[in-house]
Amino acid sequence: MNASQWILVAATLLGAMAMWLLLPRVRARGWPLGIVIGAISLGLLASQVPRIGRWGADSVFLILAAITVIAAVATVTLRNPIYCAIWFGLSLLGTAGLFLFQGSAFLAVATVIVYAGAILVTFLFLIMLADPQGGAYYDRVGWETSLSAFTGAVIVGVLSMTMIGVLTNPSPQFLAAGSTEAELAAGVLTEYPIALLGTELFGRHLIAVEVAGTLLLAALVGAAAIVAQGRSKKPPEVAGPTDKAAATQTAHGASSDGEQTSLTRTQAPAEQSR
Amino acid sequence: MIVYELNLLTNFLIVGALLFGIGLIGFLSRRNMIIMFLSAEMMLQGVSVSLVAWGRYFNDLDGQILVIFIITVAACEAALALALILMLFQRRGNLDIALWHDLRESNVPPYVDRELPEMPPYESGPWPTLTPAGRQPELPRRDTDYRSHV
Repeated sequence: MNASQWILVAATLLGAMAMWLLLPRVRARGWPLGIVIGAISLGLLASQVPRIGRWGADSVFLILAAITVIAAVATVTLRNPIYCAIWFGLSLLGTAGLFLFQGSAFLAVATVIVYAGAILVTFLFLIMLADPQGGAYYDRVGWETSLSAFTGAVIVGVLSMTMIGVLTNPSPQFLAAGSTEAELAAGVLTEYPIALLGTELFGRHLIAVEVAGTLLLAALVGAAAIVAQGRSKKPPEVAGPTDKAAATQTAHGASSDGEQTSLTRTQAPAEQSR
Repeated sequence: MIVYELNLLTNFLIVGALLFGIGLIGFLSRRNMIIMFLSAEMMLQGVSVSLVAWGRYFNDLDGQILVIFIITVAACEAALALALILMLFQRRGNLDIALWHDLRESNVPPYVDRELPEMPPYESGPWPTLTPAGRQPELPRRDTDYRSHV
């Protein structure tokens, strides 16, 4: 184990501690310390990853990656679900920026339109239906926070150590399998990337596209069926004592509406039902 | 030039691993069903970032195509999972996943909250008041007194 690997181990343990401090617990007072330790851990991790080379590309990538990761941490640790959804939207924008950095313009736009524009809005609608205030007890307490923080940090740490260890000393076959600039200009980084993507998608992967369309149809029908079935099995509404009187009054009001101007007629049943 | 691509790949794989790990932590430790599903979507984002990076390194568009399919499947999954979460919420009136701990494995003891956080006091306003104007709309008494669902 050389110094670089020890620094990565330290970054992993500090990251675990930071996530444990930030996650919602019953007596969670240490979240500012969690932010500081998390920043230190991210800095240690970023110092061990090899830089890209050009300082312009490097700084843009670091800014995008910092936005994405910090927004992701905020998504899973905040106590109000609406704030979590909005920070998730910011992490989606960061991911779209990372896709654009890689040269896939279509994926950047598709992420913003579909993920941030449809899936996130569906989440917000569900939060409106189910948990609008956000101060519930289950938002401010978690279970197995220390174990999950340790597990997540160990996974990230092992992956980072493996990747940095292997990719800084790559085998010659791996280097040969990489692409030169000329190959990339004809492939992924071509002048009209969406045209090439469309050719590949509807050429080689046509069956997969059709299957994805069928899956979307099945999901649409399934979601409608779940909600319809849930509605039919709902317990009957609690009926108040004035329900029958109100029903007869509105029946009277509806029948007399067509005959005359209903100013006096409908005022009388409304007064009686109050 | 190849070293540039290699370092780009390393950087993106680390970001993908971070997103996946943070989503994993959120999924395992939160109790709100909506936040749990949001963390699952975060895991999918981490995998998408890694796929695009691998596609760029090997000059293969299949990485991006698979991410298109991941977005499609995530949309279907979001629709169905949110419908199911809504149905579960209407059964118990609560988005807490610990209420459904009857579905655990048989050798795991039931989960009991040792202590719950205090609820913050609900501050109700000074709400703005509007002077009443116009005719009162005709509403049956049921809807003004009690609304069982939105």
